[in-house]
Amino acid sequence: MGTDMQVVLDGFLTAIQPGNLFWIALGGFLGTVVGMLPGLGPATAIALLIPITFGMDPTSALILMAAIYYGAMYGGSRSSILLNTPGDGSAIAATFDGYPMAQKGQAGQALAMSAIASLIGGLIAVVGFIVLAKPLANFALKFGPAEYFLLMVFTLSAIVALAKGAMVKGFISMAIGLMISTVGIDLQTGVYRFTMGSPHLSEGIDFLVVIIGIYAVGEVLYNFLTINKPVGEKKSVGKKWITKEQWKRSKWPIIRNGPIGFVIGVLPGAGGAIASMLSYSFEKQISKHPEEFGEGAVEGLAAPESSNNAAAVGAFIPMLAMGIPGSGTTAVILGAIVMLGLKPGPLLFENNPDMVWTFINSMFVGNLFLVILNIALVGLLVKILDTPPRILYPLIMMLAFIGTYTLGYSTVDFIILIIFGFVGLFMKLLKFPVAPLILAVIVGSDMEQNFRMSLISHPDIIGIATASPITIALVIMTIISLGFPFLSAWLMDRKKGKTSEESM
Amino acid sequence: MIRYITPLLSIVVGIALLIGAFTLPKSTLGNPNGPMYFPALIAIILILSGLVYLFQEFKARGVKFTDFTQIRLGKSPMYLGVSLVLMIIYTILFERIGFLFSTIIFLLGLLFMLNGRKKWITNILVAVIFSVVTWYAFGTLLQVSLP
Repeated sequence: MGTDMQVVLDGFLTAIQPGNLFWIALGGFLGTVVGMLPGLGPATAIALLIPITFGMDPTSALILMAAIYYGAMYGGSRSSILLNTPGDGSAIAATFDGYPMAQKGQAGQALAMSAIASLIGGLIAVVGFIVLAKPLANFALKFGPAEYFLLMVFTLSAIVALAKGAMVKGFISMAIGLMISTVGIDLQTGVYRFTMGSPHLSEGIDFLVVIIGIYAVGEVLYNFLTINKPVGEKKSVGKKWITKEQWKRSKWPIIRNGPIGFVIGVLPGAGGAIASMLSYSFEKQISKHPEEFGEGAVEGLAAPESSNNAAAVGAFIPMLAMGIPGSGTTAVILGAIVMLGLKPGPLLFENNPDMVWTFINSMFVGNLFLVILNIALVGLLVKILDTPPRILYPLIMMLAFIGTYTLGYSTVDFIILIIFGFVGLFMKLLKFPVAPLILAVIVGSDMEQNFRMSLISHPDIIGIATASPITIALVIMTIISLGFPFLSAWLMDRKKGKTSEESM
Repeated sequence: MIRYITPLLSIVVGIALLIGAFTLPKSTLGNPNGPMYFPALIAIILILSGLVYLFQEFKARGVKFTDFTQIRLGKSPMYLGVSLVLMIIYTILFERIGFLFSTIIFLLGLLFMLNGRKKWITNILVAVIFSVVTWYAFGTLLQVSLP
């Protein structure tokens, strides 16, 4: 395993110190509340609550943000089950069987099952993290600028390719993100680029302002459009704990889908949304009674819930071990901890092992806490869902502005915030994927630096691509990831063609 | 024709970026063209994607374009317009009259817009209480200096 157990244990002891326990509890609770709001997911929750982390030490900040992340995932499932309105992509699968269960008067059982499945999925993934993170970090130590540049190319292309059916929109979204990252003084030469004469822009556009604009202001504006629509009727909670029969049916699906979700989470581009969808269809395929899926089959809720939580934990591995986030949410977290002066990457495991293991153990503790919170306080959480969004959305808007102000103490950032709020709104309307933009804004500057550094030792792009076995592998992976949507579409067509021939 | 706006916009932005990249001042350190490469690359991606997108929209011209209908329905135009105006006012007032009063005005505006005039007591209470609480939380507990 290559990991000293003593460090892991020390990390656990640090994680359960009262200070850190407080951050876990606070983050978990706030995350749950924001996650429960229809239309708002983990990325929004973290973007909004970033100002709280200022002045905190980086370890506690990371713990807090991770807790907000899981909290928002739990919260998203709450509104999926009770109102049939998922907070974000990874909570969609929970509506398929969770809402029918609630309609049958089993809302309490569905909530409990979702919490238990999330806990077990998360724990499986934490074990995976302990096994995989260190070796990956050691491997990444071999990476030079060319390797890093191509790794970023691969990550971006994977996230673009997964923008289902809208690859072109994904590319445009990514290009806008990269474009934003080039504004300001060029780090290598001191040349002013695209600052339009504004001294404020010479420091570059703060990516956190872009994130808050798109994820918070944009999402709220988008929700204004549907604010007068009646929401799904909320059923009474009923029994709060699962039955033995339900546990028997869900036990194996939960255990099976934890590792599936974890692996998908580690891969760049894919995340909770894909993990939970895949787990749902996988369980439906191998089930003995697939006809019950969609009608309130308890394992149809348990499987995706286990999987998406495992994916959330897995997504931290590339972010911490290589400094490359694989999803929109981890990109936001990366942006925030870089602000606090921490540089994730392979050296983090060498220089701050105590911090890494404290963080991993906090995920353990955090998941346990959230289960307790979600089951014990189910009544209170359901009441929060009753608070009208008409009051909550203005407050979120206010928090977005204050958060932005604390980043640079300048109202020039407000203008940038408003612009990106509307950019976010129009991207949602035109069905542009947001994640490529966010990821590109965060890695853009590093990507350019690595690109130009590798140009010093290699003559041209071909030279960079063939610099080492790793770069060749990354180029091949990039080509495969970009070709995959076409390949799968072609295979589907062929399959369809065959079945229609057979039926003739 | 509305469907062609976004693809054309991305092509135009791409071309502007390309021109911008080529007219960047030359660097006196290292490679004189160094600062130009990356923006030029992005510009090319934007232009190419824009062209493909334009072609896709052209192929789909028979299908009704519904992406924008949502913002034209019901109260949506009013909500978005008023929000924009409120945000601009907030930006102007924030440093002039201070955090507390500008935030109360901003929240009142949004709440009256969404919640209506009938619930004026709730609106005023929420706006004042949350502004004061946030002011205290950020100013005193988190020690962020607000105007």
